Amino acid sequence: MSLAPIAATAGAVLLIVVARKLRDPLPKFLLPLATAILFLCFWQFAAEQAQYEVKQPDGTKRLVEIFPTPWSTLVGMQKPIMDGTLLRYAIASIYRVAIGFSLAVLIGIPVGLLAGWYLRGFQAINPLIQAMRPISPIAWIPVAVLWFGVKDSSAIFLITLSSFFPIVTGTMTAVQTIPLVYVRSAKNYGLGGFGLFRYVVFPACLPQIITSLRIALGIAWLVIVAAEMIAVDSGLGYLIMDARNANYYDRVVGAMITIGLIGIGLDFVMRRLELLDDVRWGFPKVNS
Amino acid sequence: MKIKILLGAIVGIAAISVAHWKLNGTPRYMPGSPSTSTPASGEVRAEFTVGFLPVTCHLTCPVTSWVSEHSTSGTKFKAQRFTDFPSMKEALIARKIDATFMNAPLAIKLVMDGVPCKIVHLGHRDGTALMVKTDGPIQKFEDLRGKVVAIPGRFSNQNIFLHKMMRELGMPFDSMTIKELPPPEHPSALAAGAIDAYIIGEPHAAKAELDGYGRVLLQMRDAWPNFISCVLVVRQELIDERRPLVTELVNGIAASGEWLDEDRDRGAQHRHDAAIVAGKLFYNQKPELLDFLLTKDVTRVSYTNLKPLQKDFNEIVGLAVELQILPRQIAFEEYIDDSFSPDLATVDVPFDRLPDVEKVAAQ
Repeated sequence: MSLAPIAATAGAVLLIVVARKLRDPLPKFLLPLATAILFLCFWQFAAEQAQYEVKQPDGTKRLVEIFPTPWSTLVGMQKPIMDGTLLRYAIASIYRVAIGFSLAVLIGIPVGLLAGWYLRGFQAINPLIQAMRPISPIAWIPVAVLWFGVKDSSAIFLITLSSFFPIVTGTMTAVQTIPLVYVRSAKNYGLGGFGLFRYVVFPACLPQIITSLRIALGIAWLVIVAAEMIAVDSGLGYLIMDARNANYYDRVVGAMITIGLIGIGLDFVMRRLELLDDVRWGFPKVNS
Repeated sequence: MKIKILLGAIVGIAAISVAHWKLNGTPRYMPGSPSTSTPASGEVRAEFTVGFLPVTCHLTCPVTSWVSEHSTSGTKFKAQRFTDFPSMKEALIARKIDATFMNAPLAIKLVMDGVPCKIVHLGHRDGTALMVKTDGPIQKFEDLRGKVVAIPGRFSNQNIFLHKMMRELGMPFDSMTIKELPPPEHPSALAAGAIDAYIIGEPHAAKAELDGYGRVLLQMRDAWPNFISCVLVVRQELIDERRPLVTELVNGIAASGEWLDEDRDRGAQHRHDAAIVAGKLFYNQKPELLDFLLTKDVTRVSYTNLKPLQKDFNEIVGLAVELQILPRQIAFEEYIDDSFSPDLATVDVPFDRLPDVEKVAAQ
């Protein structure tokens, strides 16, 4: 193992020890930084362990790197970053997730509200939803290709499908767990029908719906690699498949990191929704 | 506030949709095209989509596509890249593509399963190698006894070849562990020591050789001369209803094959060109890798003599049935229509260097 990762590991451990005792907000930035450094060191160490020398027929030796190091990943990502491919592909993936997730929201929330409110509706659709929910999006790929071909719509279908189930299940549960006192009070004040839904049921469910949206968006983003395994010709999932095909493992890892970073950004946006006045009552005040 | 969030979400989705459409909406791989490929008359050219994987077995597909895209007349052959055989097969079944290259036994199985399609031409000859570790102990096929060998899929001629060799050498079929692995995983699995050998179409064999950890144990050219891995499959309705178009495609593929082999004993400039264009624009692979395997030993893969012959396929089907890869015998005419395959003497190669190859090389 080379010296640099050992030194960096020691530095990161020291940073953790020191940062724990500092005043906020410093630990909030320093602790994740130290964890990231430790992760990079572990990665470097693992990659170095996987390297080995091979004796060539002419007697010379050759070092075989079977897994890219952090540095070789950075070097390998230089081209897709500089020529705009990474940005182009990130936009393609975000587009598919945005459309797919929006469709899941537009279908999932009304279905969940109705199924949660009407017992017979719940009895009718819940078994089907629970049966379909655990099916991996990869299993749906043949269906997606057969129905939608090899265009964006296939990938969007897979994303919609995977984010629909958490939304509908979360919404159904939210409706079913509304305290009865809310509904009775509203009825005492003469509310009923759509008004009851609009002013009591929906606002009371909103915090739980937002939590399920957050989970669903995470799943939608998680599914992007599987969704882009189908013959689309752009996107971060496609970049992974394509780089794997071409033996550019540095780009595979680089695309994985990009997916992770964008995932953090998307989760950040979703968490901002928890701060809305209408729903803030439903969330704990820590970690906001 | 809620309206603002809703509007923000709508505007955001609209913006990302426009950006995606602008950036990824059209293929961006055509220097000097497609404006140059639009006839002055404004006539709309027919389009025909052919599926391929980024392997050298399918090299005639990007060459044909590139030439047709740069031509001002005739049909435009669009090369649709896939990353795996199952998706290609499903796209063909769903009529989302018109034709595709695929493994010969898989194509025969499709016909047996009632998918309306036929093999009309071969993709290549040879172009597959059995690879082992450079400094490993395996020196001959018999040394694979007790070892783990990767194949690209059950319905592949590579699988059939291993069994054919075992039978010829009197080895029982269970004398080695055969594992199905996606082709791109083969070299890295060998490098990591997860497998002892692999048999695969190029460039995945050359990759291990070029990187130094793999050594060729057997070239198909020597072990099973005129080896067929992939074939060109066209949907039956196109064969029945659009014969001139299928003829044009097969002629284009045959001409591309003839062009690739035409000067292979005289510097192989054509193969250098193909390595640049296919590597950079269609395969997204290092052109050096393609160049290495196409030109270092020009007999490693061959693109002529691609008319499907009954005796070759009888042997493949016979072995496949014996190995229970295919459920039953099938008549040659049921899965092959060789009426499109031209005789080489009649193939016209209307180009020498690939269009815009210098521009692509400079990219």
